[in-house]
Amino acid sequence: MNRGDNRYKEYINGNIRSILWVIDMAKTAKKRSGTAQDASHEDVFKMVFDRIQTGILIIDPETHTIIDANDHAESLLGVKKDKFVGKVCHDFVCPAHCGQCPITDLNTPLHNTERVLLSASGERIPILKTVAQATLAGKAYLIESFTDIRDRKKAEERRIALLAYLNESVLRIKKPLELTGENLRRIEQQAGSGDYTPEEIRMQIRLQSNNIMTMAATLQDLASTAAEERDDIPERFREFFVGK
Amino acid sequence: MEDTQALDLSTDTQLFLLLSAPQAINTMNLLMIKKILTGKCTPLIISLNQPCQVLVKSYAKEGITPDQYYVIDAVTHYAGGTMHPDSHTRYINHPADLTGLGIAITEFLKQIPSPCKCILFDSVSMLMIHIPTATASKFLQFVVNKLKISDVSGIFLCVEKGLDPVILSQMSAFVDKIVDFEDIQK
Repeated sequence: MNRGDNRYKEYINGNIRSILWVIDMAKTAKKRSGTAQDASHEDVFKMVFDRIQTGILIIDPETHTIIDANDHAESLLGVKKDKFVGKVCHDFVCPAHCGQCPITDLNTPLHNTERVLLSASGERIPILKTVAQATLAGKAYLIESFTDIRDRKKAEERRIALLAYLNESVLRIKKPLELTGENLRRIEQQAGSGDYTPEEIRMQIRLQSNNIMTMAATLQDLASTAAEERDDIPERFREFFVGK
Repeated sequence: MEDTQALDLSTDTQLFLLLSAPQAINTMNLLMIKKILTGKCTPLIISLNQPCQVLVKSYAKEGITPDQYYVIDAVTHYAGGTMHPDSHTRYINHPADLTGLGIAITEFLKQIPSPCKCILFDSVSMLMIHIPTATASKFLQFVVNKLKISDVSGIFLCVEKGLDPVILSQMSAFVDKIVDFEDIQK
């Protein structure tokens, strides 16, 4: 699944629907406090909130402090909840500077938008982020949900590097082969002219033959890379084409 | 459109990337040698396409004698031929021996007495058979820098559309002009 894939969008939207359903359940539970059914709603809420494989942060839009987070958010951030709940989000999880919050300051809606999450270890984790606004007990909150896309980014980079490597290999074969074809025609003429010694002709044929063998080796490498989809594409190609 | 005036080597140090169809690359080599000699420059041919022994014969047919040019031959040994080094000819063991090639260029640039020197690199496309684009790009950048520092002109022959867009854009950044051989012929 990639970002533009409908199945992926459905997956994300499904997660969001789950979250909104949970919030709705929580609201309902609050209204019905005291009944036997409340405990089960709270349990469902807690279970889904903590087990869903989407990080969730609940943020106070006025102070930008983190009110709550689920287990997956805790795991992605790499730090216990009590260490970041109560902290300001842009100091901790969001690379945006103070006063430049995309939601409250810049009014930019975030819906499955590619962003970076700062983990406690300083790792910049690529995520798909959605921010929804919700009102609970008369107070507005921001519900941030995010999905870790490190694997997808890695796969994308591998695909780009692989394509670049294939492109490079084709370029290193196609034109040199054309040139080799021309050289062989020239050698044929030279052989017929009588102006060149057999040793000169032999040497040139050997040169073209060696070049063809080198191109064949490049082609073999290309075939192996494509077939096995190895991740050991030479680093120099990766650096050069992926720009890292 | 470029014309032959675009390849005036006598007035100033210039670096060109010369593109041609595969069938015209040897003609282009000959034309460029003549052009360099007409401009009263001494050519240093870096040959990755033909053994020196064959080049000498091809040039002789055009009335160009071996004392008029210098050659770095990167293919004779690779093709199992016999090497005959002299003051005008140096041999490299393998076309991918960039260190040897770099040393030979440096030494020849010091050795050639003529005040006007011009390198003819034949060809970038053949170099690409032996080394990856990224390595070729770094090496060519090294050669170009060396030429600029030494105030030497250079012509890099290449098969048209034979370069990765990345290397082409890099080459266009460090040569003065990219010239199409067809335009020169017109």
